[in-house]
Amino acid sequence: MMKRMTVAVALLASLTACQKSAPPAAAVDPAVEARTTAWAALAKLPDWGGVWEIDWRNSRGSPPRPQMKLTPEAQARLDAFRAAQKKGENLQGDVANCVPPGMPGIMSQPYPIQFLYQPDRIVILTEAYMMYRVVFMDGRPHPEDPDLTFHGHSTGKWEGDTLVIESVGFAAQNRLAPGIGHSDKLKITERIRRVAPEWLEIQTTLDDPEIFTEPYTSTTSYRHLDDELREYVCLENNRDGADSNGRPSMRLE
Amino acid sequence: MNRIRRIGLAVAAGALALPALAHHSTAMFDFTKTVEYDATVKEFLWTNPHTWTTVTVTGKNAGEYGLEGMSPNYLARNGWTKRTLKPGDKVTVQVHPLKDGRKGGFMVSAKLADGTLLYNLPHRDTPAAAAAAAQGR
Repeated sequence: MMKRMTVAVALLASLTACQKSAPPAAAVDPAVEARTTAWAALAKLPDWGGVWEIDWRNSRGSPPRPQMKLTPEAQARLDAFRAAQKKGENLQGDVANCVPPGMPGIMSQPYPIQFLYQPDRIVILTEAYMMYRVVFMDGRPHPEDPDLTFHGHSTGKWEGDTLVIESVGFAAQNRLAPGIGHSDKLKITERIRRVAPEWLEIQTTLDDPEIFTEPYTSTTSYRHLDDELREYVCLENNRDGADSNGRPSMRLE
Repeated sequence: MNRIRRIGLAVAAGALALPALAHHSTAMFDFTKTVEYDATVKEFLWTNPHTWTTVTVTGKNAGEYGLEGMSPNYLARNGWTKRTLKPGDKVTVQVHPLKDGRKGGFMVSAKLADGTLLYNLPHRDTPAAAAAAAQGR
């Protein structure tokens, strides 16, 4: 009898405890559990916190940018572009009218960038023009016939502590350099690694068989800045301009 | 008093590359020429993509001058604030003038009445450059 009483009390006690503590295990939402695991996994990724600014003075001593090896057609277009510059054209591009440069130009602006990790994507914020790039990390392929955009369609994967991003599908007006356009075959591969506490290195390869006789690779160092991104609305008070022939102008009034 | 002089050694040695002008080229301005004006600030706009300072100059080159400057994003990281220049301030500004002869240009530096010299364009003496130099970069 005594024994039965003890069991009953113990049962009662455990029931009460159950009511007081978390809901029973059966109530855990598997979706929440999966999300928790996915977000927790981000803590194991390389820490790229803060913001990063291009090392303009090249104090880290990155290798000089190599010469682009152009196809005869691309070289002819560049020669024509330069000849027009002597007539006062092509001196200024549409960025003077606040049209963002797109890829790859948006990655070499005089303002910092910031990385945001999410389980299925990495977002790169660029202070210049207040733009963002989305890099899908969930293994999806590029669309078969992507819309052509300023930043293209980007997918990425980690190779150790290096983030490898491949991007395709760029808008026709994007320029690889002044006077150098691209075809719809352009593919941009970026290899990004924090090479030292203070330094992030981005190796960028431009591959476009209609423009280059061999892929063009350059390396840029970004310095860690203990800072935050600032607002940058280009049309706030823009007085600079370029006409359709690239002739510059400035509004004084 | 207005002084015009060709770009001097001191300016050439101190000036750094101009990546921060990526928004536009330098095509409107004569970067080979530096003009100095003693002026009074009429307005200082702390805006993107460029700050904009309107100054009044008296004397030989009298008139109102519109001066483009670096963005708040760049300047705030190099010692400037939205209150650095105020209407009525007496300043000596160095300017790369407009090529077309209108009254305006790109502000190189501003010397305040108390003698403080602030660089607008990247310069070896800006705080960022000084900090980099101090760390041996």
